[in-house]
Amino acid sequence: MTAGVLRHRQAAWGQGGARALAIVAVLALWELAARANADSFVLAGPVEVARYLWQNAPLLTRALGATLQSAAWGFVWGNLAAILLAVAVVLIPRAERVVAALALIVFCLPLVATGPILRVLFGQGNGPQITLAALAVYYTTFLPLVVGLRAVPQSWLDLIRSHGRGRMTQLIHVRAPASFPYLIAGLQIAAPAAILGAMVGEFTGAERGLGVLTIRAMRALDVDATWAIATLAAGVSILAYGGFGALVRRLRVESPAVLLTPPDHRHRRPPWRRLADIGVIVAIALVLWQATMDLFDLNPFFAKRPGDVVAFLLTGPDAAAHRATLFAAYGETLVFTLPGYLAGLALGAGLACGVVLMPGLATTALPLSVALRSVPIVATAPLIVLALGRGAVGTITIVTVMIFFPTLVACLQGLRQTPGQIIDIFDTYASGRWRLLRLARVPAMLPAFFASARMAVPAAILAVTTAEWLATGNGIGSLMALTASTSDYNMLWSAIVLVALTAALAYGAVAWIEAQVLAVYAMEQTVRR
Amino acid sequence: MAADIGIRGQAVRCEDLSRTFTSPAGSIAAVDATDVTFAAGQTTALVGPSGCGKSTLLRLIAGLEAPTTGTVRIGDETPAQTCQRGALAVAFQDASLLPWRTLRGNIALALTLARRPADPDRVDRLIAKVGLQGFEDRRPAELSGGMRQRAAIARCLVGDPELLLLDEPFGAVDELTRRRLNYELPKLWQANGTTALLVTHSVTEAVLVADRVLVMSPRPGRIVADIDIDLPQPRTRGLESETAFRTLTATVAEALMDIAPPRQFAAQ
Repeated sequence: MTAGVLRHRQAAWGQGGARALAIVAVLALWELAARANADSFVLAGPVEVARYLWQNAPLLTRALGATLQSAAWGFVWGNLAAILLAVAVVLIPRAERVVAALALIVFCLPLVATGPILRVLFGQGNGPQITLAALAVYYTTFLPLVVGLRAVPQSWLDLIRSHGRGRMTQLIHVRAPASFPYLIAGLQIAAPAAILGAMVGEFTGAERGLGVLTIRAMRALDVDATWAIATLAAGVSILAYGGFGALVRRLRVESPAVLLTPPDHRHRRPPWRRLADIGVIVAIALVLWQATMDLFDLNPFFAKRPGDVVAFLLTGPDAAAHRATLFAAYGETLVFTLPGYLAGLALGAGLACGVVLMPGLATTALPLSVALRSVPIVATAPLIVLALGRGAVGTITIVTVMIFFPTLVACLQGLRQTPGQIIDIFDTYASGRWRLLRLARVPAMLPAFFASARMAVPAAILAVTTAEWLATGNGIGSLMALTASTSDYNMLWSAIVLVALTAALAYGAVAWIEAQVLAVYAMEQTVRR
Repeated sequence: MAADIGIRGQAVRCEDLSRTFTSPAGSIAAVDATDVTFAAGQTTALVGPSGCGKSTLLRLIAGLEAPTTGTVRIGDETPAQTCQRGALAVAFQDASLLPWRTLRGNIALALTLARRPADPDRVDRLIAKVGLQGFEDRRPAELSGGMRQRAAIARCLVGDPELLLLDEPFGAVDELTRRRLNYELPKLWQANGTTALLVTHSVTEAVLVADRVLVMSPRPGRIVADIDIDLPQPRTRGLESETAFRTLTATVAEALMDIAPPRQFAAQ
C-alpha cells in the first residue's frame, strides 16, 4: 500500500469518525432536551423512542412494509412517467413549452386535496398512496433528466447526423447514456419523496401504513408514538437516499455539476407572445381536465369539471360567498407561506456561506444536511406542531424547515463550483475569505440557489397545506380537509385550482427573476442546446 | 497521380452557395455566393482567420447546415443522400469520442451508425493503423489528446468513406504531436483515394497535408486565393526544410496577410 492510499484511508476513517461523533452528539442533545422538557409532553428522547419501537415492533413492521410497498410502486410509475415525458420533450422540442408547463401544473396540485379525491375514486386499497407517491416524484426526475438529455456536446449529435441518422439514434447512442448520471441523481431525490407521497396518501383513510399510525398518534396526543413513527419514517428515508448514494459510488457515476438549468431566455419573446403562450397552456390544461373526467366517465358528484368551478366561483347563485370563504383561507395560508419560504432560503444560503467561511464545518455539515433533507415533511410536521404549537410560529417553521435543507445542500454544492483558478487569483492578491465569498463564491453559487428557490415553491405549498391539514386548522389546507370530509367537492376543486395556479405562477415569477440575475452573473449557464 | 491507385472518392461541387446567419444584431454572410469544386481523390485545405466561414462551408457540405441559397453536390448526390449511404465522415476539433465507450466501441459505432454489420477485425486493423494497438479497451479519458484524435480519424476511416471532412481535427493538440499526426494520418485516406477537406488555422499544416489550399476571407465568407501544392504525396519528414515547401508556405501566408484586417485595427 502506498503512502498516498494510506493517507486517503486514514482521512476516510477520520471523516467516518467525525460523522459518528456528530450522530452521537445529536442523540445526546436530543436526550438531554427530552429530559429537560419531561413534563411538557412535547419531546420524546431517543430512549423512549427506542422503547416504543421495540415494544411495537410487529405493528410498526407491518405498517412500514405497507408504506414501502406503496412508495416503491409510486417510485416506479412516477419515474417511468418522468422518463417518457423527458424523452418526448427531447424528441419533439416544439412540445417542450407545453409539456413542461403541464408537468409543472400537475406537480403543483396540492397532494392533501388530490388525496381525498383519489380515495373516493379508488375506494379502499393502496391506489391513492401509489398515485400520490408517483405525483411526488415525477417532476424532480423529469427536470434533471431533460437537462441531462440536452447537455451533450453539439459535435456528438453532429456525428450521428453525419451518418444520416436522426433524433431516435441520437437518443439511443448519445443522449440516453449521457443522461444516466442525471437520471440517477433524480432517482436519488425521488426515493425519499416517494415515501412522503405514500404517507400523505395514507392520511386519506388507508387501512395500514405509517401515515395511518401518524394520524392516530397525533389524535391521541401520544408523544412517544409520534416521535417514534417520525424517527422511523425519517430513518427509512435517509436510508433510501443514502442507498442511492452508495449505488452512485459503486457505479462510479460522476455527479453532474448542474442539475437544473435556468429557464431559457435566449429567445427574447415579446410580452404578447408570452401571454399567448400562457393562454394556450391554460386552454390545453382545461381541455385535458374536462377530457379526462369525461373519458373515464367519472361521477360528477366528486369529479368536478372546469365548468363546475366557474359556476361555483363566478356565475353561480352564492358565488360571492364562496369566493369570500376561499380567499379568506387563501389569505391566511399566504401569510404563513411567504415568511417561511423566504426564511428557509435565507437560512439555507446563509448557513452554506458560513460553512464555507469555516471549512472545518463542511465535512460534518454537508453529510448531515444531505441526510436531513431527505426526511419527509410529513414526518417532521407533527413534531414541530407538538413543539411550537398550532399557531403561526409552528406553521412558518414547518415551511422554513422544508425549504432550508434542500437550499443548504444546493448552495453548498454551488459554492464548490467556484473555479479553482479564480480562487488562486484571489489568493495571489491575499484577499480575505469575506472578499472571496462576496466577489467569487456567491456569484458561483447563484445558479444552484435559484434552481433550489424554484423547486422550493411547490415544496413550500406542500408543507404549508400539509401542516394546516394535519394540525393547525387554519388556511386553505384546513379548508381542503374540511370540504373533503363534508363532500363539498365544488369548494375542494376550487381550492385545488387556486393553489395549483398560485404555485405555477410563483414558480414562473422566481424563474423570471432567476433569468434576469443569471443573465448578469452566469451567462454561460443560460446558453442551451 | 491519384488515378493510378484508383479513386473511390467523389468530387464535390458547390454552386452559388451562401449561408446567412441572422441575429438581433444583424445578419452575417458566413458563406457568400461561393462556387468551388473539390476534385475527387484530392485533399484540399481551407485556411482563413477565425470566423471566416470555413467551418460553415464544411458543415454545409456535410449536410449539417442548410444553405440559404445554392447547392452542394457530392458526385451526383445531395449531402443528405451521401450521409444516408454512410459514405461521408466528419472529424471534429474535439475528438468527440463517447466517454462511456471503449476505444474499440467508439470506432465500431461508426459501422453501427452506417447500418453495416459489425466487423471486429476491421476495427482492430484500423486501431493498429493509427498506432493505438494495445489501447483497444481503454476509455477516452484514459487516452492523451493526440491519441484521441488518432481514434477520431480511425472512426472516420473505418467505414471507408468517399468524402472525409476534417474540422480542425488537430487544433486542440500540442504542436509536437500535431506535426507527428500531420505526417502519419493523411496517408491513411490518401492511399484510398478518398476526397478530403481539411479546415485549419495553420498554414504549415495546410501545405503539409493538402494537394490544394484555399484561402477564405471573412464577412462575407469568400474564397480569395486558390493555391496548388504540387509536392509529391505521401509527404515525408524533412519536407519542411525544402525550398519548394517554404515558397508555398510563404505564398499561402501572403494570401492570408492580404485579407483586410478587422476594422478596429485598420486605423493603426
